[in-house]
Amino acid sequence: MTTPLTLTPGRGPDGTGHLAVSGEIDMSNAGDLAEALDSGSGPLVVDLTGVEYLDSAGLSVLFAHAERLELIVPPLLEPVLTVSGLADLVTVHGLGGEAGSRQ
Amino acid sequence: MGDGGVFAACQEVGGDLAEVDWAATPLGPPREWPQSLQTAVSILLSSRFPMWMAWGEELTFFCNAAYRRDTLGRKYPWALGRPASEVWSEIWGDIGPRIEAVLGTGRATWDEALLLFLERSGYTEETYHTFSYSPLRDDAGEVVGMLCVVNEDTERVIGERRMATLRDLGSDPSVIRTEQEVLAFVHRQLSRNLKDLPFTLTYLFDGDEARLAGTTGVTPGTPVAPRSLPVGGPGGVWPVWELAEGETRVIPLAEASFGPLPVGDWPESPLQALVVPLLRQGGAPYGFLVAALNRYRDLDDHYRGFVELTAGHIASGIGSARSYQAQQRRAEELAELDRAKTTFFSNISHELRTPLTLIMGPVEELRTRLSGAGEEVHAELDVIHRNGLRLGKLVNTLLDFSRLEAGRMQARYEPVELAAVTAELASVFRSAVERAGLTLDVDCPALDEPVYVDRAMWEKVVLNLLSNALKFTFEGAVRVRVRRSGPDAVVVVADTGTGVPETEMPRLFERFHRIENARARSHEGSGIGLALVRELVGLHGGTIDAESTEGVGTTFTLRIPFGTAHLPADSVVSEPDGGAAGATADPYVHEAFRWLPTSEPAPADDGGPREVGAAAVVPGAGPAYSARVLVADDNADMREYLARLLAAAGYRVTEVTDGVEALAAARRRTPDLVVSDVMMPRLDGLELVSRLRADPRTASVPVLLLSARAGQEASIEGLRAGADDYLVKPFAAAELLARVRANVELARLRDHHLRWRTALIDSLQEAFFVCDESGTVVEINAAFTDILGYGPEGLPYAPVHPWWPHAPADPGAYEQVGDAFARLLQSPRGSYTVPVTHRDGHRLWVAVNFNKAEDPNTGRGVTVGTFRDVTAEHYAVQRETALAALSTSLSRAADLPEALSAGLHVLRSLWHARVVVAAVFGGGDTPALTATDATLRWEDLPAARREALTALRDRPSLTVVAEDSGAGVLLEHPESPMVVWVDLEGHRPFGSEDQLLLSLLAGHLAQGLGRAHQIDQQRETAIALQRAILGPARLPEGFAVRYEPATRPLEVGGDWYDTVTLPDGRIGIVVGDCVGRGLEAASVMGQLRSACRALLLQDPSPARTLTALDQFAAGVAGAICTTVFCGVLEPGSGELTYSSAGHPPGILVHPDGSSRLLEDGRALPLAVRPGRARPEATCSLPARATLLLYTDGLVERRRRPLSAGMEQAGEAVKEGREMPVEDLATAVMSRLAPAGGYDDDVALLLYRHPAPLEMIFPAESSQLAPVRRALRGWLDQCDLPPTTVQNVLVAAGEACANAIEHGHRHTPGEDVRLRAEALVDTLRVTVADSGRWRVPQRGRNTHRGRGISLMHALMQEVTVAPGPSGTTVDMQMRIA
Repeated sequence: MTTPLTLTPGRGPDGTGHLAVSGEIDMSNAGDLAEALDSGSGPLVVDLTGVEYLDSAGLSVLFAHAERLELIVPPLLEPVLTVSGLADLVTVHGLGGEAGSRQ
Repeated sequence: MGDGGVFAACQEVGGDLAEVDWAATPLGPPREWPQSLQTAVSILLSSRFPMWMAWGEELTFFCNAAYRRDTLGRKYPWALGRPASEVWSEIWGDIGPRIEAVLGTGRATWDEALLLFLERSGYTEETYHTFSYSPLRDDAGEVVGMLCVVNEDTERVIGERRMATLRDLGSDPSVIRTEQEVLAFVHRQLSRNLKDLPFTLTYLFDGDEARLAGTTGVTPGTPVAPRSLPVGGPGGVWPVWELAEGETRVIPLAEASFGPLPVGDWPESPLQALVVPLLRQGGAPYGFLVAALNRYRDLDDHYRGFVELTAGHIASGIGSARSYQAQQRRAEELAELDRAKTTFFSNISHELRTPLTLIMGPVEELRTRLSGAGEEVHAELDVIHRNGLRLGKLVNTLLDFSRLEAGRMQARYEPVELAAVTAELASVFRSAVERAGLTLDVDCPALDEPVYVDRAMWEKVVLNLLSNALKFTFEGAVRVRVRRSGPDAVVVVADTGTGVPETEMPRLFERFHRIENARARSHEGSGIGLALVRELVGLHGGTIDAESTEGVGTTFTLRIPFGTAHLPADSVVSEPDGGAAGATADPYVHEAFRWLPTSEPAPADDGGPREVGAAAVVPGAGPAYSARVLVADDNADMREYLARLLAAAGYRVTEVTDGVEALAAARRRTPDLVVSDVMMPRLDGLELVSRLRADPRTASVPVLLLSARAGQEASIEGLRAGADDYLVKPFAAAELLARVRANVELARLRDHHLRWRTALIDSLQEAFFVCDESGTVVEINAAFTDILGYGPEGLPYAPVHPWWPHAPADPGAYEQVGDAFARLLQSPRGSYTVPVTHRDGHRLWVAVNFNKAEDPNTGRGVTVGTFRDVTAEHYAVQRETALAALSTSLSRAADLPEALSAGLHVLRSLWHARVVVAAVFGGGDTPALTATDATLRWEDLPAARREALTALRDRPSLTVVAEDSGAGVLLEHPESPMVVWVDLEGHRPFGSEDQLLLSLLAGHLAQGLGRAHQIDQQRETAIALQRAILGPARLPEGFAVRYEPATRPLEVGGDWYDTVTLPDGRIGIVVGDCVGRGLEAASVMGQLRSACRALLLQDPSPARTLTALDQFAAGVAGAICTTVFCGVLEPGSGELTYSSAGHPPGILVHPDGSSRLLEDGRALPLAVRPGRARPEATCSLPARATLLLYTDGLVERRRRPLSAGMEQAGEAVKEGREMPVEDLATAVMSRLAPAGGYDDDVALLLYRHPAPLEMIFPAESSQLAPVRRALRGWLDQCDLPPTTVQNVLVAAGEACANAIEHGHRHTPGEDVRLRAEALVDTLRVTVADSGRWRVPQRGRNTHRGRGISLMHALMQEVTVAPGPSGTTVDMQMRIA
């Protein structure tokens, strides 16, 4: 049984690429995420609001595309992003004001 | 074991026991008997003490051979295997309650000399028993029977009772009374023993009838006691005729002719009477005694002897009284005889004088008328005349003698031509003197004036002196000379005879004084001659002197004054009567001739007035029986004389020549009288008397001393020495015989009392002895000899007495006897019990009573004592004590080794042994040794001892083998045969009693060890069983449980805990406590536990489960009052529904340390009110709270309220709330344990909410999501903030990913384990795999390094521990 993960690609109002992710991301399905990210290029907003779990396997995928990503995260994931240092590399929305100011 | 094996210890009774149909008894066949019963029977049969026992519900009866012999009688073998109440139905009223008491209390009883009426000999029998009932226990230690050790006292009690009567009969101080007094006294005494003599009748023969002279227990004149009975025929109720013949008869009393009979001290009347004649020595019986007999005793030899002794006493009392009366009559008769004698002498003198006158008158006439006849005719007439005169003188002299003795001598002094008269008297002796080869030299010139003398007296003076001279002179001459010397006429009679020793001279003229051993022509003679001479001379106012030189001769010189001034005037006559001289001389001359050796007949041969006549004076026809007289005299003549005299009087005489021989003869055979001279070589008479008196065998023999010495002093000396009588030589034969007879009679009377006393003492069943002041035993009785083996032949026994224990062999016993002996010498009275040694060497115990008394004969202090053999009692007490000590020790022992050790110590202290060892011969080469000396090992024993112990294995068990150095016995140890050795080091002998005791104790020890072993095993079995059935093999997570059995020797109990995972995922929780202990409680617990479990699975409601369990418990024996806590837990929510059946409340401790009790939902314990609905309560367990459930053993302590224990338990949980529950359980158990361990069993259950999460999953990435889901669910129960939950989730996920990725890279699918546990302030997660992986460097760039970093960042403490069996990641986070 694979971990439930839903990936919904789309375009934002400004035409920027958008990927809505919901479910959980671990080593069993991190490859799916990587595939979704690898399939495009250019800035991409990844909306992790629906993600309940994200571990180092998912983080590694995000790190690989850090330069073109903007992340929207729920409070639950904030510690992970902060601790892993990803928050320092990408623009993270949904974090506290401090995260935005780093931008 | 076959049926015969149990009974093998005794062939006699064992054989009959084997015949019993045991299968028909409650005990069943012997091979199925429990070990305890087999042991008890084996001990019983091997004992030589009378014992019986009862076992089981019917108290089935067993006994041994000694009991059969002493007590059971005809009931054997019928009694074996029957209910005891049937066997002893006649006394069940007495013994039943005692047996009930033993069975009920387990305590032994003790009865001493209890009167029981037994039906064992075909009649109701009066018996006395001293016995003890002690409890017998089965293999489980329950009292199921009793053992009775009996000592039958019947003989002793009855013997003492009869003895008391005989003693009382002999206790009358006055020896001689009237017949009426004797009978009154006797019947007073007999009426005090109406047990042995329910009634008595004493009949005395009185002519043609037998007169009733006394009764006891019956009214005179009733049909059974007619006041008189005819002697001649079969007329009366008693067979008088046979009794008059001296026969003893047993008369049945059943006949109607006796009418209603008195019963004495008994409830029923006697069945028999013994009728005994009152025998008279050498005559027809005085009468007879009718003694009604105790119907409860057999008429055995003892009983018959008792009645006969009683009759003998009555007879002797009557005899004494009648003999006293006879003596009184005889004294009166003697006085009468004396008067008659005086009359006789007067008369006979008159009678003789008359014919003499009628002779003399005609002779005178003839002489005148025939004056012319021839010389020859005249000469013959003169002869007739002279002898007629002489005869007349003789008659007168006879009268004079009696007058002289009476002091009424009538003298007649006439003027006499003394020289002529004297010469004439001398000439009478001439022919005799000349025939003796002597010359008679008469030199009597006429004096110038007459001398006034009584001619008859003067004749006696001269004739005596001449006779005396002839008697002692063997050659030479006898000279008679008469001269005048101043105012006196001097007459000298001199001889050339043997002379008189100078020492005898002063007493020469003493009356009856004889010169002993002087050479003489004859030893006959009264010894009165010279005394008479002097008296007669004295009557004439004259004197007589003697001079003598031994071997030269003797000269007597008489001086008679002339004139009449010195004479009483009324006795002086002026004219001589002219009677012829010499009339008195004839007897003297006749006598003298008879001394001479010639065969020529004496002038007359009638023998003269000598002893022959005196002998005829002895009254009666001689002694009534032939008494034995021992005559001791060194003078052969005297000896023969005495012997002849006594033999003629009918005595049997033994002659000896001195005191030494006399003593030996008297000791050889005690004579009835000793007649002894005082002066004897080697041992004189006085010394002989004191030697005889000093020896108890001869102390009472009367002694008559004969002495030549007259005078009061001499006789006092003799009497003081202890002589019974004293006779001075010379003595009259009649006097001797009279005194001999008197002394023999007296001695016989005295002897009768002595014999009575001896018979009395000898018939005592107790040993009797008399000690002098130094403790020397001087008198003993038959029982003394029976008990100790030392007889009267060895008397006296000086201390140290030969029956004292041997000092070197048994110093303790020797000292004990020494102390007691010192007390005996010092105290006025007392009693003690001591060990003594029989002559044959065996050990006895005797109980001694003693009293000081004064010997009435000597006035010296003596000790009179009695003792009885209490060996059996002593050993019975010792046995009881030892058994009690052993039982106590064994019962204190907690296990088998301790029981064995305790048993050995009891044996050691009992025998004061150096050491006691027990060797258990198991399978190995070396037996397992247990010793009172704990350091002793098998190898330390000497080789010989090891061999001896090994050899004992081949002996039958419980058979003691005694050696010099100790004793050993084989017994059954629960594991293997065991040999016990008591090492005495040869300090004291190990007697048969010791052996019996050791055998008995060994049997008990074996039984005790078996019991200890069984208890051990049961306990272990119960614990194992309890643990096995206690709870589920696997507990749900979050629970910890403990069960602790109570401390030894207490057993397991009925506590339990249980958890049940219900189909809906909830968990049933049960903690319960059954009443009672041991296997039984454990099995009840098992049933309840199973039932409760099933009920919960069927309907997961605690209240309904307990309600149903009520019904179940009501049907299980021992289940009532069980307490149970039953709960159902929703593990996710912590929702707990519960109900309590009287169980102590659960304790809930919150994470903050506060606590509450689960006190709701309470109702009665199980099965108390079955059918009643039970309440139920609900409680929500907060996260990380700890629930404690327990049984009362945890919190209940003596003298402390339960609440205190609960508080303490809550405190222990609070303090340990940070520990994992498993550790907390250990902590709580040890924290609450009392100092000596739990004295009740304890079940404990802890639950911490939530339960730790434990997951095992295959190392596959697809598992990560479900694991995460489960972990999230668990974390939600822990009541944590969402961020914390997320952090823990991520950290745990990283660890799991690591395990999948690295640990099992090459072995996918292996197990990974995850465990998460919430403590009160810490959350802990561990992930373990079975692989080995290096810890990646922490870093951002590598995927794995990032994971490790995350773990460290998200958790407070992370350790990665690689190990040989895998790698464990342990992470903790503080959450409080």
